[in-house]
Amino acid sequence: MRAIVVAIGLVLTSRVAEAKRCSLFCELGRALQGGASIHYEATALTHVDDAPHGAVVDDLVLVGARVHPFLGLSDEIQYHFGFDVAWGATTGRGGFAYDMTLYPLGVAVRFGGTAFVTLGTGIGVMGATRSLDDAVLLPLEATVEADLTNRLRLLARARASYEAGAPARHDGAPSAPFADELEGMVGLRVGHHYMDHGFPSGNGYFLGVSYREFERTSYLGLTFGYEVDIGSPEAQRQKIHRKRAGHPLPEDSNLIAP
Amino acid sequence: MVSFSGTVAPVRWLWLLAISACVIVPRSLDLPKNDATTVALLSGTLGHPLDNIARHPWFAVRRKGETLWVVYEVGGSGSEPDPFRGHHAYGDPILHAMWRGNEADRAAACIEKVAPGVKREIESDYTFYPGPNSNTFGDRVLRTCGLHASLPSTAIGKDWRGLIGGGVTSEGTGLQLETPLLGVKIGLKEGVEIHIMGLSVGIDLWPPAIILPLGPGRLGFADR
Repeated sequence: MRAIVVAIGLVLTSRVAEAKRCSLFCELGRALQGGASIHYEATALTHVDDAPHGAVVDDLVLVGARVHPFLGLSDEIQYHFGFDVAWGATTGRGGFAYDMTLYPLGVAVRFGGTAFVTLGTGIGVMGATRSLDDAVLLPLEATVEADLTNRLRLLARARASYEAGAPARHDGAPSAPFADELEGMVGLRVGHHYMDHGFPSGNGYFLGVSYREFERTSYLGLTFGYEVDIGSPEAQRQKIHRKRAGHPLPEDSNLIAP
Repeated sequence: MVSFSGTVAPVRWLWLLAISACVIVPRSLDLPKNDATTVALLSGTLGHPLDNIARHPWFAVRRKGETLWVVYEVGGSGSEPDPFRGHHAYGDPILHAMWRGNEADRAAACIEKVAPGVKREIESDYTFYPGPNSNTFGDRVLRTCGLHASLPSTAIGKDWRGLIGGGVTSEGTGLQLETPLLGVKIGLKEGVEIHIMGLSVGIDLWPPAIILPLGPGRLGFADR
């Protein structure tokens, strides 16, 4: 831990030393790169392939939010963290359902304006009263988001989780023997892409296909939601690229390099 | 071809509301006459890409006979001719409440006295998310001056009470308990509103609407 702190300190110090007309916070602000993806979404799933003893949950509806920022001194590889919160209900043996996960550890690889691939892990809880045992989740999640055109954006994610505290839910994902549960979503966002004040960003509604496996039952459904994505200024990233390439832009330039 | 009739009428209405993300019977943004003091609470969207998930409020005060309005808000304030439709930088304005006559005289006197202090306090401790921010300012002025109105659910920060706090709602007919992670508001008019990290979902009883953390913040009748 001490080594990490010292390393960060050295990087910051070297960057601060480069600045002739900039305070520590100003330089830190210039040096930091980042972005974020915020989803509000509703997912409805129905069982398509039952376990031998029948599905524990017939249908599952979850409504919630996903907030996944990333931050770093590199413009391409950054620290990624986030949280997912969703509440809802099951049918059949109906009850309150919840699915909440915190991802304190992760890495994001950014490319283009606001496209990224992330990998994250953390801890979560998921269950439903009267039907699905409450369990602690240890998830590993991969996410990909990229603009396909100025109005279309691809959203995809997959999550494999290991269970703790709910023996009945162990080995509940037939297609993923290495995990206890599996979840995925592929969607398409229709909206806008902006470049206001040099910040690449976008927003819009999306529709996706969701798939989930738990308790040896497969579920298929739809996810509908709204997403906002934002990244640090393109001009700043281009400045760094130009500097690395030996063709730096003037210090006070706010223009995007041609 | 899909036809909506008979028993599916409510579904049709919900569908129409959902696809238009609209609020039924919104208040007019026409400027009221200056034959009486007027106080208005408005909000507008932030810029791209947050335009559909975050709003910013302002109070507009115009004394009887005046032509200019005095605007009170975090990050601005001043006089302007039309804060209903032409308030700088903020899009898609919504009028949430308006007071006229004697009621507005009392409201104007209170806002003039209270708002600058609250604004200074908020601006010195400003945090874009989860608060305190411009929406915290709006809610605090409403509660301090006893002006019964609510900010929309997309006014993130309106329920900021620090690490823990609570009390009577700004609408005046309910109670709320808030922490940065979770909060709840329950009231006769307010219905039930749950706050998860600043995002609001719930059911407004009067005027009836589903409260959502998106767009104008509600699916149903306009708040008033």
